Amino acid sequence: MAAAIAKDHPTLDSGPLIIGQTDDVALNETLLRQVWAPPSKAWWIMFGIASMGLGLFGIALYLTLVVGVGTWGNNIPNGWAWDITNFVWWIGIGHAGTLISAILLLFQQKWRTSINRFAETMTLFSVMCAGIFPVLHMGRPWFGAYWLLPYPNTFRLWPQFRSALVWDVFAVSTYLTTSILFWYMGLVPDFAAARESAKRRWQKITYGILSLGWRGGARHWKHYQSSYMILAGLATPLVLSVHSVVSFDFAIGVIPGWHSTISAPFFVAGAVFSGFAMVLTLMLPARKYLKLESVITMRHVHAMAKIILVTSWIVTFSYVMEHFMAFYSGNRVEIESLIFKATGPYAVIYWAMLACNCVITQLLWSKKVRDNIIVLWVICVLVNVGMWTERFMIIAGGLSHDFLPSAFRIFHPSIVDVMLFVGTLSLFSFLFLLALRIIPIVPVFEVKELRHELDHEAHQSHAA
Amino acid sequence: MPSLKIWGQDAAAAANPADALTLQPSDATAERGWFRSVDEYAGHRGLGAQVQGVTKVTPGEPIPDSLSRRSFLQLLGGGLGVAGLQGCFKPPAGHILPYGKLAANLIPGEPLHYATGVEIDGVVTPLLVTCFDGRPIKVEGNPDHPENLGSTGVFEQALLEQLYDSNRVQAVSERGQVRSDDSLRRGIQEELRKLVATQGEGLRLLVPPTSSPFLHERRARVLEKFPKAKIVEYSALGIEATAGTEAGFGQALLPRYDLTKADTVLSLDSDFLWTQPYGQRLAREFTARRTATAPHLQPGQDTWAQEQQRREYNSVPMNRLYVAEANFSITGMMADHRLRVRSSDVGNLGLAILRAVTVQRPVAGLSVPAVDPGPHANFVQAVAKDLLRSAGRSVVFVGPRQPPEVQALGHLLNLALGNLGQTVSFTQPAARHARIEVGNEGLRQLAADIDQQKVDVLLVTAQNPAFGAPADLDLARRIAAVPFSVYLADYADQTAEKARWVLPAAHPLETWGDAVAADGSHVVLQPLLAPLFDGKSEADLIGLLIAEASAPHELLYSAWHKRVAPGVPLFDDTWAGLLRKGFTIADAQPVTLPVLGNAASDALNKIAQQHATADLELGLYPSYQVHDGRYARTGQLLELPDPVTKLTWTNAALVSPKTADKLGIASNDVVELTLRGRSIQVPTIVLPGHADDTVSVALGFGQVSPLDNERWSSFLAPSAAGPNPEGKLAGANAYALRHSDAPWFTTGLKVQKTGGTRELALSQEHWTMEGRELAIEVPAALVGTTEHLAGEHSTNEPIPSFYDPVKPEGFKWAMAIDLARCTGCSACVMACQTENNIPIVGEEQVKRGREMHWLRLDRYFTGDLDDPGAITQPVACVHCENAPCEYVCPVNATVHSDEGLNEMIYNRCVGTRYCSNNCPYHVRRFNYLNYSYGNKTDVEKMAVNPEVTVRSRGVMEKCTYCVQRIERGRIGARVQGRDLRDGDIKTACQTACPTQAISFGTLSDPNSKVSQQRQDPRSYQLLKEVGTRPRTTHLVRVKNKNPELS
Repeated sequence: MAAAIAKDHPTLDSGPLIIGQTDDVALNETLLRQVWAPPSKAWWIMFGIASMGLGLFGIALYLTLVVGVGTWGNNIPNGWAWDITNFVWWIGIGHAGTLISAILLLFQQKWRTSINRFAETMTLFSVMCAGIFPVLHMGRPWFGAYWLLPYPNTFRLWPQFRSALVWDVFAVSTYLTTSILFWYMGLVPDFAAARESAKRRWQKITYGILSLGWRGGARHWKHYQSSYMILAGLATPLVLSVHSVVSFDFAIGVIPGWHSTISAPFFVAGAVFSGFAMVLTLMLPARKYLKLESVITMRHVHAMAKIILVTSWIVTFSYVMEHFMAFYSGNRVEIESLIFKATGPYAVIYWAMLACNCVITQLLWSKKVRDNIIVLWVICVLVNVGMWTERFMIIAGGLSHDFLPSAFRIFHPSIVDVMLFVGTLSLFSFLFLLALRIIPIVPVFEVKELRHELDHEAHQSHAA
Repeated sequence: MPSLKIWGQDAAAAANPADALTLQPSDATAERGWFRSVDEYAGHRGLGAQVQGVTKVTPGEPIPDSLSRRSFLQLLGGGLGVAGLQGCFKPPAGHILPYGKLAANLIPGEPLHYATGVEIDGVVTPLLVTCFDGRPIKVEGNPDHPENLGSTGVFEQALLEQLYDSNRVQAVSERGQVRSDDSLRRGIQEELRKLVATQGEGLRLLVPPTSSPFLHERRARVLEKFPKAKIVEYSALGIEATAGTEAGFGQALLPRYDLTKADTVLSLDSDFLWTQPYGQRLAREFTARRTATAPHLQPGQDTWAQEQQRREYNSVPMNRLYVAEANFSITGMMADHRLRVRSSDVGNLGLAILRAVTVQRPVAGLSVPAVDPGPHANFVQAVAKDLLRSAGRSVVFVGPRQPPEVQALGHLLNLALGNLGQTVSFTQPAARHARIEVGNEGLRQLAADIDQQKVDVLLVTAQNPAFGAPADLDLARRIAAVPFSVYLADYADQTAEKARWVLPAAHPLETWGDAVAADGSHVVLQPLLAPLFDGKSEADLIGLLIAEASAPHELLYSAWHKRVAPGVPLFDDTWAGLLRKGFTIADAQPVTLPVLGNAASDALNKIAQQHATADLELGLYPSYQVHDGRYARTGQLLELPDPVTKLTWTNAALVSPKTADKLGIASNDVVELTLRGRSIQVPTIVLPGHADDTVSVALGFGQVSPLDNERWSSFLAPSAAGPNPEGKLAGANAYALRHSDAPWFTTGLKVQKTGGTRELALSQEHWTMEGRELAIEVPAALVGTTEHLAGEHSTNEPIPSFYDPVKPEGFKWAMAIDLARCTGCSACVMACQTENNIPIVGEEQVKRGREMHWLRLDRYFTGDLDDPGAITQPVACVHCENAPCEYVCPVNATVHSDEGLNEMIYNRCVGTRYCSNNCPYHVRRFNYLNYSYGNKTDVEKMAVNPEVTVRSRGVMEKCTYCVQRIERGRIGARVQGRDLRDGDIKTACQTACPTQAISFGTLSDPNSKVSQQRQDPRSYQLLKEVGTRPRTTHLVRVKNKNPELS
């Protein structure tokens, strides 16, 4: 049966989407196993490390809020540095979720089914991590946290709508809301499945509440399908808009390397690039240790790797254009800014960026490499490093060396900067590890549906 | 009880109307010699000094920050009750007005201005001090005084921080134990009984130089009363202006220079644009001839000072400046031609120039020995030729760092060029009492006397002699050896450690006095408030010594009465008028023509015979920041970047790139400098333009820092740098290498790498302009022609924009900064800081690039790095019409006013810093930490200008064009029922600038100075290509190169 599903599938990529898993019961068993089984030793170790990192994050938060943002390495001219780098990086990572969930859904890409929950969960947590930085980086977050919102007040003061930072607030909060809705919506039938298969009473009650009374009736499914499609339709423009808006944070500025019309598509491509890399970074180990190879097959992995390769080329093209335009413009500030990035004190970071984002990814042309899980994982990690360095080079690289040489100054991170970054990584891991234990990380009902669809297709082609 | 008037500050201060508001703090404590318990003592102190909340008094210890308004009032009420009960001391003579009934001119919240002055090393700057409710908050120059025309230097601006500094000595102490004033008085009186018997045999006074006739008279009285006593006048950087004429002409004369008529100026190791007494005037006169256009004068406002100004500026041709020096000075930065030469070789160079000049214009009776100018033959010939061409219209300066014979050479050059009577004149110095010894000679004698145990009583009022005196005299040890020594101390410094008795010195703004300005006018120094910490002045101390019954201010009053209006019975009104004006107009000073004698040839031969070895030379320099060290505890000055190196908070060994290579050292390396067995450790700066084979170090550093930068690194401190109870030092004490026979430079220095490095707190890390057109300099020949400015700057038209231009209503505020006039002296930076409550951040934060100066002076080296020129460019917020900061702020915290101001709304700012990122000038400053309030005591908080918001942590700030002054000017004009006139509003930087490089006004008036400056062909917009349309424009600097040398 499985073999039947695997072959004769008229796509560019061959290979089965589901291996084994002959019936729904088996799927239920496989996909809910990580929720019911007691956590492994490895999980506890990772969870412990993440919790320690979270403690570090707490200390960094305390220092930032009580002592001030001066505990960071930021200076004049580098008003932004690691803070906004981290923000853009996390937001970028969050892009894979919507892309996989919404756009691939609309394009009816079947292979998205097994991985969309993974990507959405990752999106949710990375947007949370991202959202921390714009709030923290403010000098007075206790005001800034709500003064950027257009709320009615007696002073009749509004945010300034010309500022991209205000657009950012809307874009990111919309994105977060939509992501949560999308994620939760998709979870409802699976929570119901979990409720059904739960062994203990409290689990039954908890999942019962979470499943919002889902009974799996035809009406339920009808409503579910249409609203899921509507949400997907709403989320689709967000994939393009959120990171475009984030890119406007820079594009509307006058700083060399910021002031550029290529920013929006460049940032979106970069976001998808890093998002897919992050999904793979998390999925490859999870797939192995949670024994999900049967539903997250090599076909999924290949498809993801190919998207990484494509977006890597878009990013590379953007770099070429950026450099070309700088020299073509004849603007010496732009030109010297680029030369500074490539040869100045940040040169190591700059070349690391090119190596990670443009060169190493070329290995993905090779099927052998795509088949080698370890090499692939290393490439994905490097892509994430590369995208972080890219954001750092845009922000600090542009600010450190712009118009007046008297104001040139390099950024050096402080220990608190490091603690915050490590802290958000830990927060992300912490939440993700918890999620692995609480929610079905591969959508149970969708895989079942897919299996039926594939069966159906297989029957039809047999019949033919 | 002895008369209170011995300490008479209180009575004196009360005559100053401002003090009617300040409750007299010291009466009770000064009078009471007893107390029943320590608590009571402390309580009384708290009562007496209620303003500052003193409860515990140890020299140098910060005041507890505990007194709230409520407890202040409680103490006040309680204090009045107790005061009534005591009744056993005489209230001070004078009039104290109850606050319930205001004096006629006192309106709460309205500033009052008082004319006064401050004397630094015997040089007075006439001042106008702004007071709010009896609290001085801003120091400016007296605009009517012809010497400075309202400008100041950096040190005058730091007076307020010093005045309110809680680290000042606050109590009398004997060997570190706090004592009552009375016990010191009893001690002195006991010593006096012995001294009277011996006619003052063992009495010595170590006093600072002064121009004050009043103090001279007081000192003379001491010597009269104690015929065997001696007075030594000393200051570490004291300039003996007469040394040159003594060596050259055999008579002591004071030179006076006039640069309005000078076409060619040669400076041999002279920083004449900075060095007092003439620095500010000379800078103004010199720079007035660096521009092609005459400055704008107010029509119909012909005050006497402006008339003076007009006379100065009526010169047309541009002057040319040659500078030969080792270390880059601000004068060197202004030079058209600058020769890098060791200080030891300056004498030879001067001699070669004199030789070349006298070959053409022989001077009868003067034979000039021939010398080999070495590699500088070209320079010598060209300079001599230029000087000869402008004979009678040139000036030669020789710096006070050079030995007397080289200074004499300078005078002889002026003589040979026929400059005497034209650009240089000599006057007789004020007569000093014959038994007052001066300088190192006096110190050496004093040291010998102490060694022979001839000194029983030593009163020290000079600035910290144990620190600044030549190392070989080891005054610190010797002061400690005197049985009864009294030190009038600003801070618990090195001398205070050694002296037996330490009593708090009154701040210059707390004392009465007078002084003679460089032009001969007499200046009255009136106190602005009663001493905050019971400080005493030298006159008080002398009064005690000679058992004078009258308070100093009464004596001053009668001395002036005698001098100004002798025989006229009523003087009060005249005196009030004098206080209002601040000075008397100078009498014409009789000019003396020196006579050429044998001394001249002797001096020249002495130079010719000196052959400095090729060894490494050590050059010591007065610091641009801390002077002789008296400001080394003043945070604002420590954080003021050095005009050339941009270094803050410390000093460094400056070496040329070539010498650094030779020594194998690089910037930031900590090196050990050893000279004659003494050594110090300093970090290195490799400075382009520094002479080879010489190492320069600034003097005055190495005092206890006002802030401890490391306290911040505890993470939990809620502010930046904390107080410094451990007494960490700021910089290294270069006085340790200073010897009485070679006070400024000598060869034989050993430099050794210690292996350590130290990151330096530089406010600007980049050296060059990267070939960009930022601080533009054009040759004089091209000014006014079409080709002098290229590219965008060739036209004053703004570059095209998609958006409609801003249509301002009414005024269009704008500023113009003339780079041709800017010397880089940094007075504007300090003035801006004090006016706008700009906090200091500490060394560590400067290293992180977080200094808060709204106005900064960008320094760029130009030309090739071996032999560069340098240019400074003041940059503050330029108030763009298309401001990139405004549209990126998410909360509308920075917006444009109708009049074109780019306004910052502090309480709306959330601190995203996007505005700063997007400012191409990077002039916005961010409160990364709680810089303003962190660790400030209540007294220190008194220095804030109430018209300017104090910014909290997390808020962006920047230049406002002194918006508070704009509003003040507007209100003033409205009250007078007239329109605002150009010149009604002056920004703080503009007022302070000695060279009037900054003008401010409205573009809506085509006749305003700033409008005219914008029309000037030299006008350009910094970063015009970004399209910001700045309201602040710069005017290019003009260079007048000698074609024979380029």
